[in-house]
Amino acid sequence: MKKALASLLVLCMLFASVAMAETGATEPSYTYNTAASEFPTNWSPHSNQTNTDSDILDYIRSGFYTFDFNETMDGYVVVPDAVVDFPVDVTADYVGDEWNIAEGETARAWKFTLRSDLKWQDGTPITAQDYVTSAELLLNPKAQNHRADQLYSGNMVVENAEAYLKQGLAAPVSFGAVMAEEGTDLEGFLAAHGEEKGYINWSYSFGDTYDFDAKAWTGAAEDAVVETPLTVQELYDFYTTGEGMTLASGRGASAEDMLSYVPDELYINYVQYPDEMSFDKVGVQALNDTDLVLILAKPLEGFYLYYSLTDTWLVNEELYKACETVSEGVYSNTYGTSVETTMSFGPYMLTSFQSDKVYTLEKNPYWYGYNDEANEGLYQTTKIQVDYVAEPSTRVEMFLNGKLDVVGLDANYMDEYSTSDYCYYDEGDSVFAMVFNPDMDALKTAQENAGENINKTILTVKDFRIAMSLAMDRQAFCLATAPTNAPAFALYGSQIVADPENGVFYRTTDVAKQVVVDFWGLSEDIGEGKLYPTVDDAIDSLTGYNLEMAKTYFDSAYDTAIEQGLMDEDDVVEIMVGTPNSTGAFYNGGYEFIVNNYTEAVKGTKLEGKLTFKRDDTLGNAFAEALRTNRVDMLFGVGWTGSTFDPYGLVEAYIAENYQYDPAWKPAETDVTIELNGESYTTDVWTWYKGIIGEKITATKTGTEETAELDVYSDAELRIQVLGALEGTILQNYDFIPLMGDSSAKLKGMQIEYYLEDEVFPLSRGGVKYMTYNYDDAAWDAYVAEQGGTLNYK
Amino acid sequence: MVKYILKRLLLMVMVFLIIISICFVLVKLLPNKPAEQFGKDMALIEMRREALGYNKPILEQYVIFLRKSLLGFDWGVSESLYLGQDVWTKFMEKMPATVVVNMYTMIFAVPLGLLFGIYAALKKNRWQDHFISTAVIVFVSVPSYVYAFLVQYFLCFKLKWFPFQVKAGYDFLSWDMFVSMVPAIISLGFGTVAGLTRYTRAELTEVLTSDYLLLARTKGLSRAQTTVRHALRNAMVPIFPMILGEFVGIMSGSIIIEQIFGIPGVGPLYVASITAATPDYNFFMLLSAFYTLIGLLSGIIVDISYGFIDPRIRMGSKK
Repeated sequence: MKKALASLLVLCMLFASVAMAETGATEPSYTYNTAASEFPTNWSPHSNQTNTDSDILDYIRSGFYTFDFNETMDGYVVVPDAVVDFPVDVTADYVGDEWNIAEGETARAWKFTLRSDLKWQDGTPITAQDYVTSAELLLNPKAQNHRADQLYSGNMVVENAEAYLKQGLAAPVSFGAVMAEEGTDLEGFLAAHGEEKGYINWSYSFGDTYDFDAKAWTGAAEDAVVETPLTVQELYDFYTTGEGMTLASGRGASAEDMLSYVPDELYINYVQYPDEMSFDKVGVQALNDTDLVLILAKPLEGFYLYYSLTDTWLVNEELYKACETVSEGVYSNTYGTSVETTMSFGPYMLTSFQSDKVYTLEKNPYWYGYNDEANEGLYQTTKIQVDYVAEPSTRVEMFLNGKLDVVGLDANYMDEYSTSDYCYYDEGDSVFAMVFNPDMDALKTAQENAGENINKTILTVKDFRIAMSLAMDRQAFCLATAPTNAPAFALYGSQIVADPENGVFYRTTDVAKQVVVDFWGLSEDIGEGKLYPTVDDAIDSLTGYNLEMAKTYFDSAYDTAIEQGLMDEDDVVEIMVGTPNSTGAFYNGGYEFIVNNYTEAVKGTKLEGKLTFKRDDTLGNAFAEALRTNRVDMLFGVGWTGSTFDPYGLVEAYIAENYQYDPAWKPAETDVTIELNGESYTTDVWTWYKGIIGEKITATKTGTEETAELDVYSDAELRIQVLGALEGTILQNYDFIPLMGDSSAKLKGMQIEYYLEDEVFPLSRGGVKYMTYNYDDAAWDAYVAEQGGTLNYK
Repeated sequence: MVKYILKRLLLMVMVFLIIISICFVLVKLLPNKPAEQFGKDMALIEMRREALGYNKPILEQYVIFLRKSLLGFDWGVSESLYLGQDVWTKFMEKMPATVVVNMYTMIFAVPLGLLFGIYAALKKNRWQDHFISTAVIVFVSVPSYVYAFLVQYFLCFKLKWFPFQVKAGYDFLSWDMFVSMVPAIISLGFGTVAGLTRYTRAELTEVLTSDYLLLARTKGLSRAQTTVRHALRNAMVPIFPMILGEFVGIMSGSIIIEQIFGIPGVGPLYVASITAATPDYNFFMLLSAFYTLIGLLSGIIVDISYGFIDPRIRMGSKK
């Protein structure tokens, strides 16, 4: 009997081994090999910092929703991913003081039903409670997680998330914010808080710091809210009647003006949030294993709700807690820094990671998507390998030898491969600009410090900035610095989506096109029998380069500067250009181009030989802020990124005091008139901005005293119209001058095929999900060897 | 001798503390405010900075650093380069790759440098000497990354003899790893071979023309005997400390070579710790302390080594 059983066992083993061998033989491997010039270091959903970090995250997690191609494959749709369907509005169930929801409100509480087959890579089921626990870990006040603001700082504001994170935190808050919070007027505020410490941002209020010991202005100011030795009452007196008032009145400000600035410009250290708060009060609630409710502080629905949830904060509690350490009160966590500290719940899982060397991902067998019929034939890639290869030339050589499936092309390779059939172009969402500092006070100070016969205040003359814009040969600039980029003519690039529900790209709208032709002065030349039959023809003809007109503007700017006493005839204009460092090829090439371009451009004008440039290449991390802090007069290659689906919110970047490049421009004092539904309305830039981000606004009917309450948020067309008007207004300042769009080029290897030839934003050409292979790994090696080890991609 | 060593060690501790204090103050003076990011809650970043003690007076931060890091040997976690990870562990994880590639380079470069130097000295002013001296000038003058790219282009891309990048993994002493390191070793070695050749040739040429060597030859010793037993030994007095210095230097990686050949070593760490978006204080201070200590210790070792190579040199002796 024993012998018979033993024989049977041997036979079974033999069959099994043969079967396994056969399986191994029939399942080829498809490895997607890429190289990165920067390497991920922390891919925890709570603390990842860079795009490179999120490269890993994109493979190992699934959000509630994701983007997919639409039926016609020329646009996108949002589809459920980790949840079974779109959410259900359950606001009515949460009406009451506990969640600050009034009867009749909608879109404040949403119920999401998780997939029942949602699992970690070890097979453990994921429940709604895991999301609640993860939110608690994310918002842990002791951890100060870098990504904690994902639950309160974007479109989706989870009720009490910020309050829980910042419980008991005191921070400088403007007088006005405290008055609004406490419902008091200025008198009441001073009576209640007059004895507390006063704070101020010297740079913003005066562009100068007052030394209370020396009783004198220092001539310099830090752009930060800082403590003063004065009480709130004393600071108020200083500002409205004391030395502050004296300085301001010398610059033309009245006492009334100063009084009106008080609520925004003076600060107090204020505890905004309760000292202690239970996590039960945070709007992330699990109803059962699969139902999760998010209670929001402000209504959110449709695309922006789903888009906010394409990202996720989910972490594996057990592993996360094992990664925590607290040393002398400082919390740190190593979750998501190695294979051992990573737990996937996405299509791939991390299988190896060597710091600054290589990482690999392989299919996660517990990912629900592989059992989904919709994914049949997709995800052919069995393994993803990413090598850290710092040098571009090494990456190209590895690619040509078949070691990589894709390689980015920089300026050095564009001549060789730009016409290759394997060359693909990807457009980014940023517009890079050159920005000028037209702040008269700052320029005067810089001018005095620069020495005799040096002029900088000509930058305040708008004609001069217009001339600088028209004299910039954008195409040549791109070729000299980043040949994959193309000239830009407006604030927003072609990838910006104005109506995400319907996939309408902003630059394709009539409003946006009109902004461009208006800004470049082509409106009069469009129409039948004119220079340009259509708006599109006019836009296609744009180069942004008109040297003849630029020379006229240079002359008129010079005349104005002389007339206004800004400049003497023997003065030389000196523009300090800021760059982050002295080693970046883009900034070195760009600076050189700017100097040569403008030196040539002013020839034959009254500024010939009088326009010079200097460079501060030590700005480093302070590069973006250097103009606001008046360190330099000009920057180039600056812009904002990451608001592809929300150009409305991005307007804030151009008009808010802590973001805008021109510290002198006051959007709250700049009126804009917009025609909406046949009626003209006027209000200031800031109010229009509030309108497009969801607030009801009041505007004056043009030509009358009559005001009207407007809702420009709910109607997509009105919203786009206001956005266009604001874009035009910002452009007309000529302090943020569009220079080039952000795009890149790459070579695709012969082993792989993209799903689409043309890019469809934001899915590109389908990514790893849709990628197919012409050769499996073994066949590819053989093919490369057959070609002599080096492939021809020209 | 013992007294001399103790005295040097005490002085070393003093110098170490002075250097570290200067480093601490200087790095803390660097701008460290993170750049404003649109839509990013800067108050949250400020909360973290407060928790890390960045807003405390520098003197107070310095006392904490002395107590925690220098006395407690807790160098803290990285706040920028490798967020959340222990800096000492990370540093030690990356050190072996640098040490191994440099060690291989020394093993290959030192004997070659000595041999070429001796050969050139023996063939002084003949074509062999001129050839070696010209090659030395070329290899000393051209930066190592230039021939690193050439080595990679010809040996890895064109001839395909070696992989482009050093092999992944932690099996640093395996044969596969060695093979993958050959292009890096060659690139790093050129400079060392050239430097050592030039130095050895110069020293040996001087010694070979000494009167006592002429006396040795007239006493009947062969040329080989005089060269190896007498000339080389005396020439080694300045050469040996140089070799020792090179060995001590194996712990400091080369930024460029490590980047070109994908060596996951410590080379880029020091510069990166300062040029990161915000300075990584803990990494910078650990690296400063480590390399300062290594530098100071190597100085002492080199000084002591003189006595062993040439017994006539007595350290700290007043006689």
